[in-house]
Amino acid sequence: MSEQTTSVENPPKRGASLKAAEARTRLISYLFCLPAISLMIIILLVPIFIAGVLSFTDYSLGNTDFNWQGTKNYERIFGRSSYQKMLWASATYVLVVVPASIGLGLGAALLINSLRRFGDFYKAIYFLPVMAALLAMAIVWDFALHPTIGIVNKTLASGCGTLVEGFFSWGWIPGVNGAESWYSTSCADEFPHWLGEKKYAIWTICFIGIWQAVGFNMVLYLAGLTGVPRELYHAAAIDGVRSGWERFRLVTWPMLGPTTVFVVTITAIRSFQVFDTVEALTEGGPAKSTYVMMYAIFEKAIRENLVGFGSAITIVFLGFVLIITLSQRYLVERRVHY
Amino acid sequence: MLGNSSPMAEALKHAVLIVGALIVILPFYVMLSYSMKSPNEILTNTGGFIGSQEKMVDDYCIKLGNPKKDCYRTPVFFNYGSAFEKAPLVRYLLNGVFVTLSIFIIQVLVALPCAYALSKLRFWGRDVVFAMVLVCLLIPVHAIALPIYLMLAKVGLTNSYAALIIPWTISVFGIFLMRQFFMTIPDDLIDAARIDGMSEFSIVWKVMLPCAVPALMAFAIFSVVAHWNDYFWPRVVITGDRSYFTPPLGLREFTGGADGDFYGPIMATATIIVTPLIVAFLLAQRKFIEGITLSGMK
Repeated sequence: MSEQTTSVENPPKRGASLKAAEARTRLISYLFCLPAISLMIIILLVPIFIAGVLSFTDYSLGNTDFNWQGTKNYERIFGRSSYQKMLWASATYVLVVVPASIGLGLGAALLINSLRRFGDFYKAIYFLPVMAALLAMAIVWDFALHPTIGIVNKTLASGCGTLVEGFFSWGWIPGVNGAESWYSTSCADEFPHWLGEKKYAIWTICFIGIWQAVGFNMVLYLAGLTGVPRELYHAAAIDGVRSGWERFRLVTWPMLGPTTVFVVTITAIRSFQVFDTVEALTEGGPAKSTYVMMYAIFEKAIRENLVGFGSAITIVFLGFVLIITLSQRYLVERRVHY
Repeated sequence: MLGNSSPMAEALKHAVLIVGALIVILPFYVMLSYSMKSPNEILTNTGGFIGSQEKMVDDYCIKLGNPKKDCYRTPVFFNYGSAFEKAPLVRYLLNGVFVTLSIFIIQVLVALPCAYALSKLRFWGRDVVFAMVLVCLLIPVHAIALPIYLMLAKVGLTNSYAALIIPWTISVFGIFLMRQFFMTIPDDLIDAARIDGMSEFSIVWKVMLPCAVPALMAFAIFSVVAHWNDYFWPRVVITGDRSYFTPPLGLREFTGGADGDFYGPIMATATIIVTPLIVAFLLAQRKFIEGITLSGMK
């Protein structure tokens, strides 16, 4: 790029030089935007187009040719039971992780915000999982949840036959048969293989997802809470709002509306993209119960080279993400205050 | 908030938060603890947090034909030593540093001039470019990994640093963020620079860049954390050539064929990978939280 000066310093030849200056600014602007524009096109837009086209084919990497398949790939996604399981696994994960991590994040933020001291201490601890590589922590959870030597089952087992079992078997509640409770039957038999049993695997993956997302949501809510003007609480008090719950329902929650819309969107998009835990811990199993979409794309298109089919999953995936973000935009524009 | 300030309520809040904190800390505790214990202590769940550090026999050392007396190891040294010896972990870590830094630098080189043009220069088509930025903000790069992978494969770039870096060179979010930030910088400053005879090019790097340092710091944290921890993208484009492995790939490979004896070294590797960012975070919490939640500014 050449070293040019604009002609502000030469007022005499005003008309001509102004035009020249404008042309130069335009040229410079285009030069400045050129790298960004070309990269946006090559890296973000062209791939979507490619995926869109390939999703109607049976293309595989290495083949020179491909056949048009019409909508067959899409019919497979929505028609075959193993891919319906994929949609279910993704939906379950998103529908569990989003509300749970937001509820817990908001709860933690409210508690921390109302503390007189040590708030920063909890904030730092809750934020740790956000910083740590999810893959590494997934592997640690794998060890912690190991059916026989893992710390979780060891700890649970050490409670057997003690007051802990007495409490958590709920036998002390009238009308409950403690011996049939989950805890007691597990003590008598064995504690679950958290990642190896169909009944538990997806919930365990969800749990790790929640564990990781809570701190992020908490921090966003803490930022949101600083934006709630104190006068509103005083005003509410004058209007006769006494209980903490009423104060939350009438002041805090409505004021947090924009934060909530944002937190829901970003958590949902991130949850849709879950991959690390599934790849490292269950590989989609057992019985496809944790076969989430990102893992399906990875397995089908990259490992098995079924590119056409993988592209169709990619397009469906993008469709979901688009729906989420567009509803966010819509809600933001309507300036949500519930 | 007008907190309920009775000591009972305060104690109850602490109790709830402590229970939560214990669950959050649990895997970090397991990771650190296992990284220091001997295989036997891990299997039997004994030895407390740091283990007894009693000398243990290194089976692999015996397999190599060394006499038993030379094969006694202190567990913590054995674990961390194996982490570095059994795999080229140093190489993986350097790869990680190289890739994350390159990504960040290129992102800035691409985003800054564009953000400047979008915020401070008037030109035909500016609104179109900005609309494009807004549309591209909607696209998660992980979601279009497959077509990007195909393009890289077509030009023979899989298993290379380029494959790890190229897809991330454009940070639409970075452009958006910098534009918003530049909007707050008064035009007078730029006019003054022009009158001083500075070219637009040097205005970007000598006037705007220094002004943007706080925003760039936050963006740097955002970018580096995301790419140091990223596992999906390297997993897709690095298919087998270990010399391009990033730290998470190295760790995953380690767990692949591992038996019980390797829990210690695996946990040591995990600790080594996770520690740099955790330590940096604890040292500069405010900056990190700001950076990671940057995306909240949209």
